[in-house]
Amino acid sequence: MTRDVPTDHAFVCESCGNRWYYTRERCSKCRSTAVHSYQLREGTVVTATTVHATPPGVRSPNRLGMVRFDGDVTIVAQLGDDSSAGDTVEFGSVTVLREGDRSASGPRLVGLE
Amino acid sequence: MTDAFVTGVGMTRFESENNGSALELAERAAWRALSDAAVEPADVTSVHVGNMAAEAFEGRTGLENALCGALGVEGAIADRIENTSASGASAVLRAVHALEAGASSRALVVGVETMTAAETEAATELISRLVHDREYAQGVTLPSFAGLAADHYLRTYDVDPSALAEVAVKNHRNAAANPYAQFQEPITLEEARTSPPVAEPLRLYDCCPTSDGAAAIVLETAPKADGIRVASITGATGTHAVAERPNPLAIESVERAGRRAMVDANVTQNDVDVACIHDAFTILELLELEELGFYDPGDAWQATVAGETALDGRLPVNPGGGLKARGHPLGATGVAQIIELTWQLRGDAPEERRVEDPQAGLALNVAGFGNNAVCTILQVP
Repeated sequence: MTRDVPTDHAFVCESCGNRWYYTRERCSKCRSTAVHSYQLREGTVVTATTVHATPPGVRSPNRLGMVRFDGDVTIVAQLGDDSSAGDTVEFGSVTVLREGDRSASGPRLVGLE
Repeated sequence: MTDAFVTGVGMTRFESENNGSALELAERAAWRALSDAAVEPADVTSVHVGNMAAEAFEGRTGLENALCGALGVEGAIADRIENTSASGASAVLRAVHALEAGASSRALVVGVETMTAAETEAATELISRLVHDREYAQGVTLPSFAGLAADHYLRTYDVDPSALAEVAVKNHRNAAANPYAQFQEPITLEEARTSPPVAEPLRLYDCCPTSDGAAAIVLETAPKADGIRVASITGATGTHAVAERPNPLAIESVERAGRRAMVDANVTQNDVDVACIHDAFTILELLELEELGFYDPGDAWQATVAGETALDGRLPVNPGGGLKARGHPLGATGVAQIIELTWQLRGDAPEERRVEDPQAGLALNVAGFGNNAVCTILQVP
């Protein structure tokens, strides 16, 4: 059930409360499969980069941020603006993140106004 | 401490484009290693090929068996080991395990990759597939992780980006004296600092190239006159998704593999005289030196700028040019690191890049951006 959740959703274990973003079928702490997804809200940029050499189907340049949310859920995701370390961000409107055979859509993270 | 000894080494020059196939390059390196060890193919009891993606780069499958056929090795145990960019060291690890278990007494290890056999876009796509699916969806690549880590390192420790360029300058300077290196011209700090941006703050000269090449070693349980002992070799996994690490500068696989290797070899950082570090990006050389305990967090850049990691420094790092300048044909790199250390410990390295009287060397080969690490310690018996 965890494979097709939106890119702005993370997972929480109903048994022990552990939270994570990177898909796995079982909780890594208690092994429970009782898992549900939830939408991430505001996060803080830990570090950021602008990538100029991008793979086929990915925008260039591609600004990426490592962003930490509540519960120490940390992700690497596309930034929709020039947000950098220390900035507070949230997910914006849905867009194409990657084109091609394995295309992906979802919201980019943008700074809170 | 293991009873495995490196008794022969040989490699091809790493190049930006070699017309040879993976099989041809592997065979060439293997013959050189066998000749160096004075071992006949008929006497080889196991063959271990480190290779990430010959089937994808050039449509070759069954590389290990094709190599045995080309060399005339018959009746040996043979396998191919895939651990992305640490495939080479993992093949060495497999060989040492075979020797230690008594399953083999004379092992041939060959690392090889022909990355330019595929179109650049196809090769980039292939390498980008080793990240987590949710990282892939965002277009994340290995240089992306390196850029994120570099940004965090520079800000956390208030470091000027020129410290990263110093790593590139050092490794290119070392490679200039290495006839097997892809790049044999020194570069200036200014050239490195003004090269095109790749993943800010990293620039072109902060990143290893795409390479073709092969490297081979012979491992035996019976020591020979100039054999170099594999004091220890071990690996460790880290997180698959890089963001799941508690600290963007932590590479736990490296710390674990390094710590275990030093314990197994009964050495400390102070006993290591020369190191071959997985500098796929300049920032990685700094982070890995810190994870291995050679420097405290945030100190490796100062040591580099001060010349401590230069050939005549306290801890020479990447005397053969590293991935940065020797080149990085994925499956070959981990084996090439062992070859460089063997040359250094035997005193065979050219004088221009020879470390003074080393007794122990450490090699670190890393898969992905720390998904897996293999650490080896070699010693003069």
